[in-house]
Formats: sequence, C-alpha cells, structure tokens
Amino acid sequence: MRTLQRLLAIIRKELITMLRDPRARFTLIVPPLMQLFIFSFAATMEVKNIDLGIVDLDRGPYAADIAQRLRGSPSFTALPHYASVAAARGDFERERLIGVLVMQSGLSADLTAGRPATVQLLLDGRRSNAAQITAQYVTLIVSAAGAEQRSAAPNAELVISNWFNPNLDYRWYMMPNLVGMLSLGVALMITALSVARERELGTFDQTLVSPATPVEIALGKLLPPLIVAVVQATLYLLIVTLLYQVPFRGNLLVFYAAVLAFAAACAGVGLCVSSLVHTQQQAFLGAFALLLPFSLLSGFATPVENMPWWLQFITAANPLAHMLRLMQGLFLKDASLASMTRELAQLLEIALCTTVAAVLLFSRRAP
Amino acid sequence: MSASSRRAHSWWQQLRAVMLKEAKQVVRDPSSWIIAVVLPLTFLFLFGYGISLDTTVVRIAVVREDASRDAADFAAALTHSRWFLVVPAADRRAGERLLQDQSVKAVVIIPAQFAPFLHAQGTTAQVQVLVDGAEPNTANFVHGYISAIWSDFFAARARQQGSRAGPQVDVAVRYWYNANAESRWFLIPGSMTVIMTLLGTLLTSLVIAREWERGTLEALYATPLTRGQILIGKTLPYFLLAMVSMLVCVITALLLFQLPLRGSLFALGLVSAVFLVPALGQGLLISVTMRSQMAAAQLGLMTGFMPAMMLSGFLFDIHSMPAWLRLLTFAIPARYMNISLQTVFLAGDLWAVLVPNMLFMLAVGAVFFGLSWWRLHKRLD
Repeated sequence: MRTLQRLLAIIRKELITMLRDPRARFTLIVPPLMQLFIFSFAATMEVKNIDLGIVDLDRGPYAADIAQRLRGSPSFTALPHYASVAAARGDFERERLIGVLVMQSGLSADLTAGRPATVQLLLDGRRSNAAQITAQYVTLIVSAAGAEQRSAAPNAELVISNWFNPNLDYRWYMMPNLVGMLSLGVALMITALSVARERELGTFDQTLVSPATPVEIALGKLLPPLIVAVVQATLYLLIVTLLYQVPFRGNLLVFYAAVLAFAAACAGVGLCVSSLVHTQQQAFLGAFALLLPFSLLSGFATPVENMPWWLQFITAANPLAHMLRLMQGLFLKDASLASMTRELAQLLEIALCTTVAAVLLFSRRAP
Repeated sequence: MSASSRRAHSWWQQLRAVMLKEAKQVVRDPSSWIIAVVLPLTFLFLFGYGISLDTTVVRIAVVREDASRDAADFAAALTHSRWFLVVPAADRRAGERLLQDQSVKAVVIIPAQFAPFLHAQGTTAQVQVLVDGAEPNTANFVHGYISAIWSDFFAARARQQGSRAGPQVDVAVRYWYNANAESRWFLIPGSMTVIMTLLGTLLTSLVIAREWERGTLEALYATPLTRGQILIGKTLPYFLLAMVSMLVCVITALLLFQLPLRGSLFALGLVSAVFLVPALGQGLLISVTMRSQMAAAQLGLMTGFMPAMMLSGFLFDIHSMPAWLRLLTFAIPARYMNISLQTVFLAGDLWAVLVPNMLFMLAVGAVFFGLSWWRLHKRLD
C-alpha cells in the first residue's frame, strides 16, 4: 500500500514536470502528428515523377512505340528528346533527368527482321536506388513492346494476386511502420532525459534519499512515458485508419499490449542510458546514439533480410524491429496470435533486462 | 591606436572569451569526443555494412499439389534461381499461414491439374502466386522475378520442341558515376549529411537552452557582450568540432569503404563549411526559442535530424514526392548538402551543381541566423 502511494506520488510529480511547460506539451503532440503527415508522403520507395531523356537515333516505328508506352506510364512525367547523349549531359549532371534512354539506329529494322535488339539506358548512379527502380520500370515497358510478336506459353498462365495490400499502396506499408518509428523516439528520450535532468539540477540525490526504493523510483520513471506512448498511439491509430484508410485487421487489445510492451522496452533502454550519464546533453546523445541504429536496423527503410547475418542477430535486441513486425501483423496481415506473442515476449524481455540493469546501476549509486 | 580600432580590438577579445568558454566546455565534456569521433564512425559502419537497398534473396514457399514432371521442373526452376530461397510447404493452408506470419514473401501454388491441363487442348494450366503485397517494392521484385522465370521456363520448352521465339528487345543498363549501382556509394555521402546535421543542429540546439535552464544566461546578459558576439562565440567551437568529425568520416569512407573521391578535397571542405552555416543557424534558432534542454532536444530531433533522414533525398528520392513536399524540402539545408556531397564524391567538381546549392545553403543559413539574432533579446522576460 505504502509502495503504491509512493509510486503514485512519483508518477504525479513526473507528469507535472513533463506537462507543466506549454511548449513541452506542444512538442509532445504537434510535431509527431506533423511528422506522421509529412512522412506519409515522403517515405516511399516508389519512384514517381520520373524525368527521362530520350535520344532517338532510330526514328522508326518501334522507337516511337517505346516512347509512346513510356509516355503512357503514370510513373513518367517528362520525356524530353535530345539529339545526342552529349546534349543531355548538362541536364543529367544537374539531376534534372534521372537517365537517358538511347535507341540506336537500326532498332526497328532489326526487330522487323526478327533479330533481337538492344536499347541503352544510362542512369544517374548518384541516386542509385531510384535509378535501379527506374531501370526496372523501363525494362518492363520496353520488353512489353516486343512481346506481342512472341507468345511463350500458349496454354498456361501465371495468376498473381497480392495479399494484404491488393493495390500495392506504399502508404499502407509505411503508416504502420511510422506508428512504431515515431513512438520510439518519444519513449526513449523522455526517460533518458528525465533522470539526467534531475542529476543536472541536483534533485536526483533528494529522490534517492527519500523513502522510495530504487525499484519504485525506476517504475515511477518508467510509467509516465508509457502513458504518453498510449495517448500518442491512440491518436496515430485514429489518424492512420480514419484519415488514411489503412485497414486495421488485428485485435485492438494486442495493439495496446504491443504499444505498452514497446514503450516499456524503450523506456527501459532510456533508463539504462540515464543511469550512466550526468548531464542532459550526455543523456540526449547517448539516447540518440541508440536511436539511430535502432531505426536503421529495424527493417523500416531496408529489409532485415538484406543485412549480414551478424547484424540480423543483433536486431533481436532491437525493440523497433519487433514493434514493426507487430504493427505489420496487426494492421495489414492479421497474423496468428502465436507469432505475435513471440514478438511481445521478446519486447518484454528487453524491457525487463534493461530495467533490472538500470535499477542495479541506480542502487549502486544510492547509499 | 585609434578609437575605432581599439573598439574592434576589444570586440575580438570579447568574442574570443565567449568562444574560449564554450570551447572549454566542449573539450572537457567526454561526450563531445564521443560525438565527434565515435558516433560518426558508428554511423558510417552501420550504413556501410548494415544498410543495403539492393534486394538480395527473397524467401518464398512452394506448394506442389501436382506430382507430375512438369510441376517438378517448374519448382526446380524456382529453387535454382538466385533470387529465391525456397521453403517447401505441405499444402495451401500451410503456405498461406507462412505468408500471414511474415516468414515468406510469396507462395507459389502449382495446382493438381497443372500437367493435365498443360498437355490437353483447349485448357489453360494455371499457376497461382500469392504475394505479400504489404511492402510494394518487394512485391514488385517478386512479380518481376517469378514472371521472368515463368517465361524463361516456357521459352526453354518451346526451344526443345523446335519452335522459334519472337524477337526480343533487351535493355542494356549503365550507371554513370556508380558503375555497379552500389547503394553504399550513395548512402555514405548521405549519412555524412546526417552526421553533420546531428553535430551542427542538435548540439547547438542545447547551447542557449542550457544557459536558460541553469540560469547562467542572466550572467551572460550582464556582460558587455553583444547579441552577435554571443551567437558567433557559441557556434564557432561547434563549427570546428563538426569539421574535425567530417574529416574523420571522409578518411574512413575513402580508406575503409573505398568510396571514390572524384572531386577535390577543396570542394569537399568548402561544401562542408558552407553547410554548417544553415545547420548551426537552425540549432541556434531552436536554442533561443525553447527554454528547456529537453524541449530543445525534441525540437532539434524533429526539425533537424528527421528531415535530414527523410526529406533530404538520402533514403527517399525527392523527385518522387508530391509537389508541395518538394517545395518544403527547399527549406531543409540537408537537401543541398546531400546532392553536393554525392556530386563531389561520385561525379567530380561540377561547379554548375555545387555553386547554386551552396548559395541556397547560405541563404537558408542567413534566415536562421537573422531570426535567432532577432529572437535573442537581451532581456529576461
């Protein structure tokens, strides 16, 4: 009973410090929402509005057909013609064009005679990712140009259907990920900075000599970020499903369990950081030094499968990697409870290990 | 000594004093060394080894309901492809389960009627592919690869039966500046932009907020220092710190990651120095606006670091964004830095690219410094 009372007192005090300043209140709500909105448009690996230069030395029907097909594709905005590659060079250097498609003379003649032909595609390697995706688009379109004449399999067909995201809308993939990504920073930062702030102002020693035990202090520091995370996640959930029309196919209880477990894991990590540092600046940098690897090695921007095995192994300790799998499973896939429980359990393990470590570090400093 | 030159002399002395104080604070704090050296190196390693945008091997499941030779041949074609790692699945349900639990990216189902339909007249043999569409790019890769294997499979059969396939147009792709289209080559210059933003913006965002919080700003205001001296004196040490860490990054990139430097070191240094003007300016503006370090850190993270990651063309291509967002990226210094660094490293000293970008950076920087100067009233309201 006493414990609960003391715990509530610490939580109350933490919430007051966190929410007293109107500017701090503002930073907890408005910027995350703005980020959700802006990044929903920015974070796409789809390549759109492509400007591709065309050098048509062939001037035959096939070259015209290819140009026509490219123009018909929604991914391309402008297809300016140039007399030669040299003429396109300036625009290419200034990144006005992602590449140049060169159709040699004799292309149409070769194809009419039934000989295979080649077109050249020069791409900007500075933007190698967008360039590679553009290469795929162009290859698909160009090879379709010759496809009418050949039918490889007269009585067989490949029926491809997309599950979970039938129209391959990139936003459906990105929004659930952003929910995890944006919660990561807030939970980690708040905990890391709140202890460091007290250290810096000298009030942490007062807390340590109060009747509260190290466990109570740690829990008192852990719970407020959890409350913030739940509030934010509810906002995100409403926006993502109502405004962006992304389906939510899983269980709402599992969603909140995931948010809580994830926030606890992040707060635990934050607590660990704060037990090692003395000033807010150090805490901020320490938290940040973890934030970046967490977000990069989570599968947010690049698939985990692309990483070398030892990094894939490390991602097991990354709370965001588990959170993203949970979010994908909940929003789009309605994954089985068994696979979700596994991720949840791993998040709780991280939370437990980090909190215990932090408590040990705190009590070592306490008399 | 004339009065004006004496005034100038004391102006410099005062400036030096602020700088010295700030520089001492930076050097004495062990965390600044972590920031200047350890953090940049960690990032470079992460980007160099951990992050690859080049799709490698995709796990798929194959369900074979047909025991015929044809079905086995097609399954073998999938297994032998270097794009796929094939996991066998007992039946359709098991395959769908694997897809739902995110263990595989696609399920290929060869139905029981595959071979009979293929050999009969007037029927169409179907192979079903269920693709995890959640991540559209991977889904498109999988579409493309499976379709290619499928048409190769039938083209090979047609050749065996002696019929001739129609003419084919090949696309020969060549990448300028980055012949192997290695994503590492464009990610490393991009990650340097992020590191510089981190140093320039995030660190300075704490500078004045810290004095507010500790109450030492009053002491600073009581000195004869002008606003300009406070601003310059507080940013210059961070400028030097950032340049040192840039040097560490460049050396690592060239020696360890074998990144080519096709432009000159001079251009690289100039671009970096120019970039720090808006980056430091932004940090200062945050710092004079927010009263607590925690709020300043959050704002710095959200307006400095996150845009440098997401809106600078580093991970996500700017050209693919909607028009209003492309317009917004013009206010983000990292955007200009990113293309400038990619150009200096991979293409060379293309001044036609670098000069306009540097001018934009200076313009954005002037706005940030101007606003901070205006916001930093010498009074304690």
